[in-house]
Amino acid sequence: MKRIRFSLLALAAVLFAPAVFAAPIDDLVAAAKKETGFEFYAPSTLTPQGAQALNAAFNKKYGLNVKLQYSPSGNMTRDIGKIVGFAASGTPPEWDLMVVTDAHHATLWLRKLHQTFDYKSIGVDPKAIQYDNGTVNFANQFVLPAYNKQLVAAKDVPKSWDDLLNPKWKGKMGVSTATHHLGRLAAGAWGEEKTTQFVNALTKQDLILGRLGEIYNRLLLGEIVIAVSLSDSEIKAETHKKAPVVFAESVSPLIAPAYHAGVPKNAQHPKTGHLMAAYLTTPEAQKIWEKYAGQSSALIPGTSAHKYVQGKKVVYMSQDQAEAVDRLSREYGKILGLAGL
Amino acid sequence: MSIVTDAAAARPAAEVKVPGLGLFAGGLTALLVVLVGAPLLMIVLMSLRTGFPGEGGPLTLANFAAVYSNPGTYKVLANTLLFASGTVLVTLVFAVPLVWLLMRTDLPFKGTIYVLMTVGILIPVFLRTIAWILLLSPRIGLVNQWARQLFGLEQPLLSLYNIPGMAFIQGVSFVPSAFFMLAAAYRTMDPALEEAAYTSGVSKLQTFLRINVPITLPAIAGVMVYLFMTAIAVFEVPAIIGFPARILVLSALIFTSTNPPTGLPNYGLAGAYGAVMLAAGLILAYFYVRLVQHGKKYTVITGRGYRPREIALGRWKWPGLAFALLYLSMEVFIPFLVLVWVSLLPHLQLPTAEAFAQVSLDNYAHIFDHVGALPFINTAILMFAVPTATMVLSVLISWVVVRTNLSFRGSLDTLAFLPHAIPGILLAVGLAYLGLAYRTYFPVYGTIAIIAIAHTITWIAYGTRTTNGVMIQVHRELEEAGKVSGASTATVLGRIVLPLIAAGIFNSWIWISMLSYREVTMALALGTRKNLVISTVVWQFWGNGWVPQVAALGVILVLFALLVVGGLKLGFGRLGEWQH
Repeated sequence: MKRIRFSLLALAAVLFAPAVFAAPIDDLVAAAKKETGFEFYAPSTLTPQGAQALNAAFNKKYGLNVKLQYSPSGNMTRDIGKIVGFAASGTPPEWDLMVVTDAHHATLWLRKLHQTFDYKSIGVDPKAIQYDNGTVNFANQFVLPAYNKQLVAAKDVPKSWDDLLNPKWKGKMGVSTATHHLGRLAAGAWGEEKTTQFVNALTKQDLILGRLGEIYNRLLLGEIVIAVSLSDSEIKAETHKKAPVVFAESVSPLIAPAYHAGVPKNAQHPKTGHLMAAYLTTPEAQKIWEKYAGQSSALIPGTSAHKYVQGKKVVYMSQDQAEAVDRLSREYGKILGLAGL
Repeated sequence: MSIVTDAAAARPAAEVKVPGLGLFAGGLTALLVVLVGAPLLMIVLMSLRTGFPGEGGPLTLANFAAVYSNPGTYKVLANTLLFASGTVLVTLVFAVPLVWLLMRTDLPFKGTIYVLMTVGILIPVFLRTIAWILLLSPRIGLVNQWARQLFGLEQPLLSLYNIPGMAFIQGVSFVPSAFFMLAAAYRTMDPALEEAAYTSGVSKLQTFLRINVPITLPAIAGVMVYLFMTAIAVFEVPAIIGFPARILVLSALIFTSTNPPTGLPNYGLAGAYGAVMLAAGLILAYFYVRLVQHGKKYTVITGRGYRPREIALGRWKWPGLAFALLYLSMEVFIPFLVLVWVSLLPHLQLPTAEAFAQVSLDNYAHIFDHVGALPFINTAILMFAVPTATMVLSVLISWVVVRTNLSFRGSLDTLAFLPHAIPGILLAVGLAYLGLAYRTYFPVYGTIAIIAIAHTITWIAYGTRTTNGVMIQVHRELEEAGKVSGASTATVLGRIVLPLIAAGIFNSWIWISMLSYREVTMALALGTRKNLVISTVVWQFWGNGWVPQVAALGVILVLFALLVVGGLKLGFGRLGEWQH
C-alpha cells in the first residue's frame, strides 16, 4: 500500500512539476501576456527608434505582443513630481515603467511609491536591485564639466572641479537644473560642507541657468564655453555626435548617476513593467540601449561603461544616500537660483 | 465690482417673450458660473492649502505668509511690472504707426504686409527668441560681433538678458494682436479731420501725432490695458531670456511652483502668487471695459454712405514701407531665416563655412519619427473643438445679452468677460488642481479635453465681444417677422439670426482656432503624455536640446500657416477684418 502511495506521489510530482515549480519568470511572462498596452517613460536620448527596437526585441525574447508606448522624458523632476501628485490624489500613474536616474527614483522610494517585485527571483543580479526591490539599475550616465572645444584652448581646459571657480570663467559658464549631480558629490565623495562651499563659490561666477538641454544648446552656440556639469546623455546622443561639446576628462571624481527602471505604485500594467525592468539588464537589451541612448551598465563587466570607469575615481549613489541627495539637490537649486525664490 | 459692457447696456427694441427663456438663460448662466468659477475657486483653495491636490488638510495662510514675507516676491512683482510696461511700450511703438500706415494711407503692398503679419503670429515665440539670441546675445550675437569689429568695443553693444531685452522680444511679438485691435478704430476714422489739417499746412507726421493719435487715444489705452494683462501672464520669453539671467517674473514663478526644476510641486505657493495676479487681472479688466466704453464716445463715423479715404503718402511712401519692412524683418523674415538655417544643420551653430558644409535635409526626413501622430491629432482636435465650443457658447450668451430684457443679462455678460481677467497660466493651474483633487467629479485630467476646456474658457471673453458686436447689427424686425410667421425661437435663431452673423462668427472661429494651435502655457501646465500637442512638443524638444528638429517642424508649420492664411485671404477677401 505504501509503495502504491509513493508511486502515485512520484507520478503526480512528475506530471505537475512544471506547474508547481515553474520558473517565476514564466509566471511573470504569463501575467504580462494578460496585460494590454505598456506605457514606458524613458530618457529622450533613447529616441522613438530605440524604443521600437527595444519593444521588438522584448516581444521576441518572451513571445509577447506588447505595444510599447514611449514617452520621452522632457523633465524628469517634473514628471516624478507628477507621479507623487497623482498618488496623493489617488490617480493611477501615467506610466507603467519609469526609467529615470537613481536620484529621481529616490523621491519615489522615500514616499514608498514603487510597486516592488522580487527581481532576484527572476534572475536579476542582486547588485542591480535597488530601493528595496523597487528598481533595477541597468545603465550608468557619466557626468563631468563639459566645454565647447572650439572656444576653449586645450591648455585652458579645466583639470579639476575647483578649476571651474577660476575668475576667468566668470560669465562664461552655465549650470543646469540637474542639481542632483552636485547632491551626489555632497552625499558621497566630498561631503556636505565642501560641496556647499563649492556651490556658493559657483554663484559668484555669474552662471547662466537652464535645463540640461538648454545649457547644452547654449554651449553649442558659444553663449557659454563651459557647463558646470553635463551628462553623456547630451554628449553621446546620436543627434549630437558631431557637435563640438566634450567632457573635461581630467576632472575627478567622475559622477555616475545610474538609470533605474522602476514600476510606480498602482501602475496599470505592472507585470509587463517588472518584466521589462529585468529585461533591461540582459545583454541584448544593453546592446540596444547603448546603441540608441549611449549608455551601458558600469556593473556589468565587458560593457563600455565598465571599461570606461576602470582606473577612475567614481561617485555612485547608494540607497542610504537617497534622503541626503534629495534634500541637497533642492538646497543647491535654491542657492544657484534655479528653484524660484 | 460690476462690469457692464455696451451690449448689455443697450436695451433691445422690444422685450422678447419666449417660454422657458428664464430657465434657459439661468442654465446658461449656471454653466458659465461653473466653467469660470470652478478654476477660480480652486486657485483660492490651493492658496489656502499645503501639500498635494487631493490630500485635503486644514485651511491655512501659511502660503501667503511664505510668499509675502519674502522680500524676493516684491522684486519679482517689480520685475513683472517693468516687463509688462516695457512690452506694452515696444508694442505700441511699432503697432500704432503700422496701423496708421496700413489703414489710413496708400502704402504699397498692404495686402502682402497683412498676410505676413498674420503668419508671424504662428511662428512659435521661443523660436523667434532663439533668433534674437543669435543676433543679440552678449557673447555670440551677430550684432555685437559686428559692433566689436567696427568700433573695437570691448563690452557688448547690446544684451538681451535684462528686462528691456525681454520686453523688446515680447513687445515685438504682440504687435499683430495690437494691430488688429486698433485697425477698426483707424479704419473708421473720419478723414475730414486729417484733410482739414493738411489744408492748414500741417505735415503728415504732425497730423499723425496731433490728430490721429489723440482721436484714437481711448482705443489705444484699451489696447494698452489688454496687452498689459496679457504681458503679466506670458511665460515663454521670461523662461528663455529671464530665467537664465535670474530675472524672475510672476508667471515664471507660478509655473516653476507647479513644475519645479528641483524638488516637488508646490501648488499652495502657486496659488498665493496667483492671488496677486488675479487681483491685478480683475482691476485691469475693469479699467479695460471702462476704456472701451469711454472710447465709443469718440467715435467719428459719419453714418451711412461714409467711406474713409486713403491719404497719399507721396515721398513718405518709401520710408513708410521701410518701417513696415523693418518690423516684418524682426517679426517674420529674420526668425524664419534662422528657422530655415537651423533646420538644415545637424546641431545648432552660427553661420560659418564649416556649418555650410554640414547643411542637409535630414531633419525634415526624420521629423515625424521623433514626433509621432498624436500631437498632430490632438492639435487638430483643439483647432476644431475649441473655436466651435467657444462660438456656440458665445452666440447663446450674446443672444440673451443683446436680445432679451432679462434682469441678469448684464451679469451674464460680465461673467462671460471675466475669463479675460484670469491669466491663462493661473486658469490652467486651477483646472489641473481641480482635475487632480476632484477627479471623480471632473475626470478629464490628462486628456485633451482639459486643454480644450481651458482654451474655451479663456477665449469666451473674446468670442462674446465679437458676437455681441455682430448681433447688435442685426435688426430685431427680422426676428419679429420670423416669429409672426409662426417660427419657434430656436428656428428664428437658427434660420434667421445665425445666417446673418455667420461671417463674423466664422472669422472669430478661425482666429480662435489659430490661437488654440499656438498656445503653449496652458497646454504645458495641463500636459501629460496623452494630451501632447504640437506647441508642447516644440517646448519639449527645446528642453531636450533638439533645436534643429524643432526648427524643421517650425518651418513646416509656418508653410502650412501660409497656405491656410493665403487660402482664407483668397476666400474672404479682407483679412484685416478677422478681428473686428
